[in-house]
Amino acid sequence: MISFEHVTKRYEVAERPAVDDLTIDVPDAMVTILIGPSGSGKSTTMRMVNRLIEPTSGVVRLGGADVRDLDVEDLRRGIGYAIQGVGLFPHWTVHENVGVVPWLLKWPQPKIDARVRDLLDLVGLEPDVYDGKYPDELSGGEAQRVGVARALAADPPVLLMDEPFGAVDPLTRDRLQAEFTKIQQALRKTVVFVTHDIDEALKLGDRIAIMREGRLVQFDKPECVIAYPADDFVSDFVGSERALKRLSLARVAGVASETATNDWAASVPRSATLREALARILETGEREIGVSDESGNIIGSVGLEDVFAHFERPVE
Amino acid sequence: MTRTWPWRPFLAPTIAAIVYGASLFVPGLWEAVLGALFPDEVRVLYHAPMPLLVWQTLLIVAASSALSIGIGMGLGVFVTRPFGADFFDVVTDLSNLGQTFPPIAVFTLAVPLLGFGFRPTVFALTIYGVLPVLHNTIAGIGSVPPAIVESARGMGFTPGQTLRKVELPLASAVIIAGIRVSVVINVSTSTIGAIAGAGGLGAPIISGLANSDPAVTLQGALLTTALALILDGYLGAVQHVAEGRSAQLDAA
Ligand SMILES: Nc1ncnc2c1ncn2[C@@H]1O[C@H](COP(=O)(O)OP(=O)(O)OP(=O)(O)O)[C@@H](O)[C@H]1O
Ligand SMILES: [Mg+2]
Repeated sequence: MISFEHVTKRYEVAERPAVDDLTIDVPDAMVTILIGPSGSGKSTTMRMVNRLIEPTSGVVRLGGADVRDLDVEDLRRGIGYAIQGVGLFPHWTVHENVGVVPWLLKWPQPKIDARVRDLLDLVGLEPDVYDGKYPDELSGGEAQRVGVARALAADPPVLLMDEPFGAVDPLTRDRLQAEFTKIQQALRKTVVFVTHDIDEALKLGDRIAIMREGRLVQFDKPECVIAYPADDFVSDFVGSERALKRLSLARVAGVASETATNDWAASVPRSATLREALARILETGEREIGVSDESGNIIGSVGLEDVFAHFERPVE
Repeated sequence: MTRTWPWRPFLAPTIAAIVYGASLFVPGLWEAVLGALFPDEVRVLYHAPMPLLVWQTLLIVAASSALSIGIGMGLGVFVTRPFGADFFDVVTDLSNLGQTFPPIAVFTLAVPLLGFGFRPTVFALTIYGVLPVLHNTIAGIGSVPPAIVESARGMGFTPGQTLRKVELPLASAVIIAGIRVSVVINVSTSTIGAIAGAGGLGAPIISGLANSDPAVTLQGALLTTALALILDGYLGAVQHVAEGRSAQLDAA
């Protein structure tokens, strides 16, 4: 749906381009993460999609069409856009903020009102409580939720999110990420998501694009980024504990084996990650523990051997 | 939406305005007070009725303030648009220059062009009133966080919608502060208009000067100051309300 073809953005004052000959096809209905150090061109890349920035050369396409051929306001109204915290309009209520793109699209007011309530529900904010509040009356996490609701308001097929969970504490961030994953599973938008945080990238991304000094260094599934970092820069960026990070990307359900006995000293749910299973194994001192389904029935087991086997299997 | 219109800040200036307005129709009161202050003076009140003088001043101030606000905000918006950015320095330099030009000289030079009376007065006051409005319009728009403007553009606001719905409302408190300064300057400077025959509250001041009637000068000065304070009070209240709304900026 979104593709970059040899896109370069050069600012007059800068010695190197902010984005340098970028070619990438962003897959539909998936979350593509743009990650890299500060100044690596992530925001610049994202803003070229909705033409907040025009490339110096190259073409950005949306659904096959060169974005420069589309009416700029129509283009933007058709793309959900969420940026870190501050993007809410401080002089408008939550209701007005969330309803802004439908308002720009001239939806009838009752339809906007109903839509805003649905969206507040979707992002976990009680409509009756939050509808009339102003942004200064929201916590950081609530403001981020409103930001996400606003981006979803006109049901755009594409979402651009620039560090949408940037300015909140780790706990709130975890909750927002979990909710985002749930919403994304239901809605299947094409999402371009900028972050600094490799853990966030691994958790949310279906694909990860790693950028450095305006260039694309690696574009891969999260598992592959961890298992086969393209170079030292990527492996540094992924950081220490690569092995553990790889474990956190795999679910117990994928490796558990059926067993005759149901008698285990401990168990983990099958939705747990391998990393959580390993932790549980180490805590209990057993070589193997049980795996339970959603209602708590033991359905199999997972052990140290499975963990090792997981590492030996090639990642594709 | 959930916040009601705050009327309280408007209470004090309204009471002052009522007292002021009422006193204009009781010249005997003024005569008594000024007579007590200047027991040796024969003439303590200017011959024209006070309501007329105040009305003339208000007309001059209204016309010049409207022009100052229109020109100041218009230029301020223009030079903060991408297409007007090149004119930023020229416009601010010119308006600074206008402000430092002596007012009497502006009148003197304007009279041959615009004739006597109302028009050269409004012209001169407008020149003086533009700077504070222009300056604060630029500062106010500049104080809107770039992230908010960017998110407006990113969601598909047209440039006009961004200006009207986002930049101007968020800059309003600062702009109103500039309008307030401009109007108060206009009220007191408007008295010079009497030299050009524009009437208004400058007339008793000049007449008192010419005829050595200090009580008459004081009458004009008091009426002018009180009028300036009342208008200042109203605009201060408006500013207060606008500040309350844009204070939400800090939190967002
Ligand atoms: N308006 C501008 N004028 C000049 N240079 C700019 C401008 N905007 C960005 N740059 C430069 O372009 C490069 C890429 O910026 P960009 O904002 O895309 O980085 P980023 O990866 O989003 O960084 P961060 O993680 O800090 O948000 C940086 O070197 C930055 O200094
Ligand atoms: Mg950025």
